[in-house]
Amino acid sequence: MRHFLVMMLFAVLASVVFGAMAKDDSRERFIYGVKVFAEFMVIGLMLAWILYFIP
Amino acid sequence: MVRTDRIQVKDDDQAPVSAWIIGVIAWFIPGVGHVLLGKWFRAALMGGVTWFAFFCGLAMGGHMFGLFSGQGSSMLLQVLPMVANLGTGSLYIISWLLGSGFTDDPVQAARATYEYGTHFLLIAGLMNYLTMLDAFDLAVGRKA
Repeated sequence: MRHFLVMMLFAVLASVVFGAMAKDDSRERFIYGVKVFAEFMVIGLMLAWILYFIP
Repeated sequence: MVRTDRIQVKDDDQAPVSAWIIGVIAWFIPGVGHVLLGKWFRAALMGGVTWFAFFCGLAMGGHMFGLFSGQGSSMLLQVLPMVANLGTGSLYIISWLLGSGFTDDPVQAARATYEYGTHFLLIAGLMNYLTMLDAFDLAVGRKA
């Protein structure tokens, strides 16, 4: 559980910076930040499951 | 034809000295570059992330890299992570002066959060490089 929370914290921090830097208006920035966060989480979980089956 | 002219104008643009100074300040004290530009919300968000990630990294028992912390050829392997750590500017320098986060302690390395902490410290530096570039772009006028 701790690993998941730390990964989530990392995804939040990274997506805040990426979202703040990208795009032109606040709405687009927010949507981009959420998208980056979702990508981090989905890819992180996918990698975790792939590695789970690799001995 | 029009496109070439526009590119030409961009190449001739020179960043003012103040923009470089803002960039250096933004690197040295995370978030302050945006504060000087009056972008308080961005300063809180982007600078805040750097500070938060840095102290989280230290609290997790993370390790920072210095140029002389390796031995022999492993010294070369320290360069890239050191550059990433150096991105936190004064935070890195103060930690280095205090010797905090630089010790090679086996007890610290055995902590479950050691690797996470080390990566948080690396990411804090890399995030601050992005913050610095953003402040520089704002100072030049490339961004609004």
